[in-house]
Amino acid sequence: MAGEAIAIPAAVPARRKLSLWRVLSQSMAYVVLIAGFTFTLLPFVYVFLSSFKTNAELRRVPPTFIPESPTLENYVTVISDRQLALHRIFYNSGIVALSRTVLTLLISSFAGYIFARYRFTGRNLFFGMILAQLMIPFQVVMIPLYLLTVKMGLIDTLWALIIPLLIDAYGIFVAKQFVENFPSEILEAARLDGASEFGIYWRIIMPQLGPALASLGILTFMASWNDYLWPLIVITSPEKRTIPLALVWYSTQHGANQGLVLAAAMLTLLPIFIVYFIAQRWIVEQASQSAFK
Amino acid sequence: MTAAAIKRTLLEWIGTHDGGKLTAPQRRFAYLGLAPILAWAFVFVLFPIFWVVLMSLFSYTPTRQGGWFLGLGGDNPYVGLGNYIELFTGNTKSARIFRQAIWNTILFSLLAVPLSVGVALPMAIILESVHQRVKVIFRFIYFLPVVTGSVAVTIIWSYVYAPNWGLLSQIIKTIGLTPPRSWLSDPSQVYFGIPLAMIAVTIVYVWVTFGYNTLFFIAALQGIPSVFREAARIDGANPWQEFWHIVIPLLRRTILLASVLTVISSMQQFVLFWLLTRGGPAYQTQTILLSVYQNAFAYAENMGMAAAMSMFLFIILLILTIIQFRLLRAEWEF
Repeated sequence: MAGEAIAIPAAVPARRKLSLWRVLSQSMAYVVLIAGFTFTLLPFVYVFLSSFKTNAELRRVPPTFIPESPTLENYVTVISDRQLALHRIFYNSGIVALSRTVLTLLISSFAGYIFARYRFTGRNLFFGMILAQLMIPFQVVMIPLYLLTVKMGLIDTLWALIIPLLIDAYGIFVAKQFVENFPSEILEAARLDGASEFGIYWRIIMPQLGPALASLGILTFMASWNDYLWPLIVITSPEKRTIPLALVWYSTQHGANQGLVLAAAMLTLLPIFIVYFIAQRWIVEQASQSAFK
Repeated sequence: MTAAAIKRTLLEWIGTHDGGKLTAPQRRFAYLGLAPILAWAFVFVLFPIFWVVLMSLFSYTPTRQGGWFLGLGGDNPYVGLGNYIELFTGNTKSARIFRQAIWNTILFSLLAVPLSVGVALPMAIILESVHQRVKVIFRFIYFLPVVTGSVAVTIIWSYVYAPNWGLLSQIIKTIGLTPPRSWLSDPSQVYFGIPLAMIAVTIVYVWVTFGYNTLFFIAALQGIPSVFREAARIDGANPWQEFWHIVIPLLRRTILLASVLTVISSMQQFVLFWLLTRGGPAYQTQTILLSVYQNAFAYAENMGMAAAMSMFLFIILLILTIIQFRLLRAEWEF
């Protein structure tokens, strides 16, 4: 009781000060948040709205914000453009991103499993070989990678966007970590029941790895979907363009008709925004963890 | 050291089987399973870095008839450190542009880091203090530019930066100021020694990355045990004091780590520069990576020189990555 009697008078002035501060800081907080909100969204909203403007309205000074006579004409032109061939560039980007994701996940989980479960000679050395990748940025080795792709006859094929980019040291590291923490009793039991080494990986480890792999997979998929530099180097044929390549090509073709370029950009953003909306928790969580790799 | 001791240390270092616990089929499975993956890693990760180092010592162009090994030698002669000497002291156009590119790359990182981290940290602290539902919405929005492909980002921002009918020029006119004639292509626009085009690219970069850094800081903030902040509050600290005396000191290492990561990623930035400015105007936004790309692929096929440029970038990034790993390995306990 005596303790409380002392604590209360000390707390009262502090609390009055706090509530003033709280009102002030809360409103300040929202001002900052909304400023960030505007900074982030305004370019998106402006470009989205502008993609419905006619070419004449787009070039007006001062510009309008909301389209005066909204038209779908830009979108119709982009979708029906035979040369751009939206379906093909979506297919190219999709097939590349999907194969890269699936193969990377399989390789990462399998290598992670082996590194975690078997203490064979050379284990540390081999794992170090894999981890070395974390020190070697793609931009530094893109010249020899290009020459390798030429030598292997992969140049200007979609394979060039998949094959050289399948080793993901971070993914292997995460999978290894996961398998190491997996209760070994279950694995021993499976072994006693006659499961093969591969069977243990495929039927016991893989299903459990699901959530960890899903987040990794989404990041791999998005990295592949948005990649520009590597496709720029290895792809030359129009029919093998991925979305970013096609978008740049289209914007140089239609420099005088901004509305078309904006509509095309919006169309290519749509699927990634839908994926982001559905999977946002995974993406956001994975992204914040991967920074700590 | 005896031979046995050396052997033991060596085996420990490369990783040994502990007492032969593995059965023969298990060992076979491990080696056979790993072999293709290691081969892949060797061909596409380790061998290329070795190749870049070697190539940087030759005057190499892939179209010339070279020696038997990787086309080096023959018409692609060995020049020792010649490429490096040329890059740092030479008078050719690409060497002079490269030296400018080094400073531009450093300037870009010096601008991008305080801006991106300086926006993200207060954002994260504020987001942590508001209601969960509000937080989720804002977090969703702030992260949107991160998932937007950088090519789409450049299309959006070239439109925002359009000289006359652009959004930014209009906003500046609305508040009664005169916008610059051009945001991205006028070399005479320099503020506090920083070219306007560089500032413009940095703003786009901050727009793209601050959501990522915000998330990073939120994760770190959630790791601070609440007792620290509660204790400060009970002692009568106002939010400002709490921020400066509790949160910032506890986050010092996280801030450092975020800064290092941002420097690393800013030095690897290609698309924003290539598509917004092409390194212009007057090479004011030329970066190391643009020089590598141009010398190897775009304007010339001077790959030996480009490899030497890559090596320079590699060494800087290597030092930064080692610092990053040090920071990560250091204690995270509060």
